[in-house]
Amino acid sequence: MTGASKGRPFFPRAMTTMEKELSFAIFFCQQLDPDQDVNRRILEKELGPRIRFFPLPCSGRIEALHLMRALEAGADKVYVVTCPIGACRYQEGNLRAKKRLEFAQKLVEEIGLEPERFELVNVASLGPTSVDAIARDLINREHKLAASPLNTKKDEKK
Amino acid sequence: MITAERKPLPEIKESISPYKKILIVGCGTCVAECASGGEKEVALLASALRMDAKKEGRDIEVREITLDRQCVYEFIDQLTALVDQYDAILSLGCGAGVQAVAEVFPKIHIIPALNTTFLAQTKEAGLWLENCRGCGDCKLDYFADVCPITRCAKGLFNGPCGGSKGGNCEVDPETPCAWHLIVTRLEESGRLGKLAPVYPPANWSKKEGKGPRKIVREDQRH
Repeated sequence: MTGASKGRPFFPRAMTTMEKELSFAIFFCQQLDPDQDVNRRILEKELGPRIRFFPLPCSGRIEALHLMRALEAGADKVYVVTCPIGACRYQEGNLRAKKRLEFAQKLVEEIGLEPERFELVNVASLGPTSVDAIARDLINREHKLAASPLNTKKDEKK
Repeated sequence: MITAERKPLPEIKESISPYKKILIVGCGTCVAECASGGEKEVALLASALRMDAKKEGRDIEVREITLDRQCVYEFIDQLTALVDQYDAILSLGCGAGVQAVAEVFPKIHIIPALNTTFLAQTKEAGLWLENCRGCGDCKLDYFADVCPITRCAKGLFNGPCGGSKGGNCEVDPETPCAWHLIVTRLEESGRLGKLAPVYPPANWSKKEGKGPRKIVREDQRH
């Protein structure tokens, strides 16, 4: 029932049944990847409705409401992917994104959901910058994440 | 403006527990400015309540609306066509807004979702400071526009107390000493003479002792 944590072994290519069912929403800073429009479609085609990308002009544009709505709409995990620390084109966008995400984490904790459902990812300055590669790395880490209770309730009702 | 903070979710949940159809009503004025009861906060609370209900397997219907001002009848009237469709109204207005809505719709349960706190200035983004007690007898002109009743922890009219350190209050070292500000500002503007008189205690009868206050302006009435 926990989200990604450091030190977890890299998930093998083959996906488990549980992982196949997880849905992801990825908000990301457009400044990271000039070709994001093409790159994100690679993964969108591969995973279909399980993944939704939301490009932002700067990660500082993110609001707690965006994260809450993503979770409410069925995402099991919501990422906010930002520029490396100190590299924000608008100075403080990624720092603001962190504060907004932390606020949203408190809101979901109030309703008994794991704060790890929301995760901020500061891309490493030397790491991959194509948004599909970043997203693939993130999704592969989530092999232990359980589906959101909101989605299991939905399935039970069916 | 009037500041407020959202109540803890368990308290709100307890209050709305008898109801299934909830109308959440925000206010686009003071509580929107202090990020507790505006359109965004209404949407956040609605989303949290919907998810909470879904998680617990309860059915709930939540609708969101934000009035420009929740304390003025002309704006409250926008709810007239809606209230009959809901079991309760969850108000994200200040205490004045909650009571105004309740007076217009006495048959429906109006539930406050905020704790109204104080009259404040927006000092900077995300920081609101209490700077007025609404005493009804403003003396700001004597005190370089720094209210000693509100901003001095001891409420002194004839300060300073002598306990400040480095310009900060001895009661709360993170708060600037009001009297340090008063003296500095009067000195810089050549008005230190304002402090020569000994000021009598505040006239609290203008604020308290007669129950709720009212203002009547015949020229504004119908």
